[in-house]
Amino acid sequence: MAGSAVRRLLAEYKQLTLNPPEGIIAGPIDEDNFFEWEALITGPEGTCFEGGVFPAKLIFPRDYPLSPPKMQFTCEMFHPNIYSDGRVCISILHAPGDDPMGYESSAERWSPVQSVEKILLSVVSMLAEPNDESGANVDAAKMWRENRDEFNKIAERIVRRTLGIPA
Amino acid sequence: MPLSRFDRVPLPNLKTYTFLSVLALSGCVYFAKEAIKDPDWNIQDKVQHQNSRQRDETFNISSANDTSDSERSLKQWVSDMSAVMTREPICVWVLINMAICWLILVGRCIQRMVFGDLRVSEHQHLKDKFWNFVFYKFIFVFGVINVQYVEEVLLWCSWFALLGFLQLIAQLAKDRFEYLSFSASTPIWSHVKLMGLLTGIFVISSFMLLVAIFVGYFIGFNTFAFMSAEVILLSIRTLHVILRYGLHLYDIRTEDASGVNPTSPSGSEKVWEKRGPITYYTELVFELSALSIDFLHHIHMLLWSNIFLSMASLVICMQLRYLFQEMQRRIKKHRNYLWVRNHLEQNYPMASSEELSENSDNCAICWENMDCARKLPCGHLFHNTCLQSWLEQDTSCPTCRFALSIQNPSSSRMDAPPHDLQQDNQQPIRRELNHFFHFDGSRYVSWLPSFFVEVRPPQLMRTSDVQNSQLDAMGRQVQQLFPNLPLSTIVDDLRNTRSVEVTIENVLDGRLVAPSIFHERNDHASSPSSSTVLPQSSVPSPSAPSSSSSTRWEAANPVETEDNVAGRFSKSPEERERILHKRMEHLIQTARKRYIDKQHSSTETHS
Repeated sequence: MAGSAVRRLLAEYKQLTLNPPEGIIAGPIDEDNFFEWEALITGPEGTCFEGGVFPAKLIFPRDYPLSPPKMQFTCEMFHPNIYSDGRVCISILHAPGDDPMGYESSAERWSPVQSVEKILLSVVSMLAEPNDESGANVDAAKMWRENRDEFNKIAERIVRRTLGIPA
Repeated sequence: MPLSRFDRVPLPNLKTYTFLSVLALSGCVYFAKEAIKDPDWNIQDKVQHQNSRQRDETFNISSANDTSDSERSLKQWVSDMSAVMTREPICVWVLINMAICWLILVGRCIQRMVFGDLRVSEHQHLKDKFWNFVFYKFIFVFGVINVQYVEEVLLWCSWFALLGFLQLIAQLAKDRFEYLSFSASTPIWSHVKLMGLLTGIFVISSFMLLVAIFVGYFIGFNTFAFMSAEVILLSIRTLHVILRYGLHLYDIRTEDASGVNPTSPSGSEKVWEKRGPITYYTELVFELSALSIDFLHHIHMLLWSNIFLSMASLVICMQLRYLFQEMQRRIKKHRNYLWVRNHLEQNYPMASSEELSENSDNCAICWENMDCARKLPCGHLFHNTCLQSWLEQDTSCPTCRFALSIQNPSSSRMDAPPHDLQQDNQQPIRRELNHFFHFDGSRYVSWLPSFFVEVRPPQLMRTSDVQNSQLDAMGRQVQQLFPNLPLSTIVDDLRNTRSVEVTIENVLDGRLVAPSIFHERNDHASSPSSSTVLPQSSVPSPSAPSSSSSTRWEAANPVETEDNVAGRFSKSPEERERILHKRMEHLIQTARKRYIDKQHSSTETHS
């Protein structure tokens, strides 16, 4: 099993290296373990996360691509769909069987034809347009709905921090 | 399997242990030497052992001894020495201790030669397996066999010492194989070493099986069954790992072949199609036979021990229950497999060659070339094996989500082993863990050891939810001291150490570090001026067109531009790692520059 997973991951890594999507870099941190990747995502333009470069790690299961990887931001994040420990709650990362929030249709969930690139692009669009119905971070969801200015301020602070620019 | 773990029991390290063992041995040798200096040593013994004998007889022997004393040959000296030492109980124990010490040293040598440094999880597995084994064999020797004589205990102990040693090495080899299979590029030499070790274990265990048959022939069927069950289990497991390893190496080889030659000959692809079922059935046969032998072994122990209401039989019963459930689960999974396979064959035809040539894409599941494929009603093509493993867990087309009319009455999704639960561990997660004893000494007094005995599947490093909350609490305690470490890292380490103090020590000694990205952030934060290192041209200024800026940047630093490194995918893993790192750094620096520039321009427009 692991052999085919490694082959597929290698193919994806190659594709991501040769044709990287704008502002996205991903790859295994240490090639001794191909099941642990690091990714950098640039905040989408025209949003409160614009300009930031957010690091995340991706952990792949042994039976990838049958099961989805797990994704976790390794920097501080404040977003309705990101848990406070950085785990990303997005439908593409959920296996078809489980539906923790009970709101997704199966069409949005994981399937083996998805890929790392598609996941990261989905995360970028999630940064741009939070889904405030799924409350991975209830405080952030509430602030996003009711106090957008405050939310933008926090996002700005996070962007600066990821770039290493003192506020 | 009951697992007793004695954490933080102060065990001496190997050096002191070896030293003490050698010291004890030399003490014994000295004692024996002194003993045989006395010419009467044999008589006293004879007197003790043969009280009823007459005095004159012993005198005769004594005189005979006297005469031969001076020309005692070296051979005789050695035999006398060993005679003395085997007679003295303390010496016997010292000798056994020495043998164990020797075994540990051999193990350490093998570890040095084959494995190098052990990873944390391997270390933990080893420790678990060891205590598990000791606990279990203790129950076996004293609870099941009910040994009467010291000699019997000795024989069993030495048998189990050897067996346990082999089992530990086999476990280590299995762990290492699984770790190596994570990597796309491992030097062939480490594969050879590991394969050699596994074959060695297999050969030794076959030899031990012969010994068991030999012993069983003279002593009886029961002893034979007890001895051989364990050995057969060991050889089956080893053989399983060897076969898996072989298949994995085959995988890697085909990967290399297809990497060199993208249009690989269709022969290998055909084998690939057959490979799926082969792997599956070897897996099934080995798992089921190992489980059933284990099961029979335990039933045998239970029936033979004759003590139905003892701690030993309780432990065996719990183990039996676990084994039974495992077997049931495996069979259910197999039924599901067969069902899906039949369904595939009956309902979805193989794609014709025209359809294949029309659809030049790779298989969407494994991203590899398709030579033969199955066609779903919605028109999408996939490899047979890929489709099979997907349909075992879901019932829709992976590409378009077209719902396939699969209604498997025998096993719904809940019954089938859910793949999403098999995340970083191949084994499924068993939710209920039977703790039957837990003692956390460090809660009361810091030097008390903490240990617990629990029933859980072997080789499973998952902790229960209850423990997770406890771990989280401990993790937060550590995090208060080291706020820059992410909680997940701390909890991961705590899962191994189970002690706040040890984890703190790990952090302080640098064994536990935050993910590299944290360091990078901190570095940048502490030195905001580092951006000046970059040539100004690397960032497209608002006035200059970006194309010219990028060419200038290339000229300044021809190797390390993003454009340049992004354009190629190196063959060497080290270079790939380096390029990835460079690209990441470059992305961050560019973003920083852009951000600062933007801020400048906005402040300028404001003023």
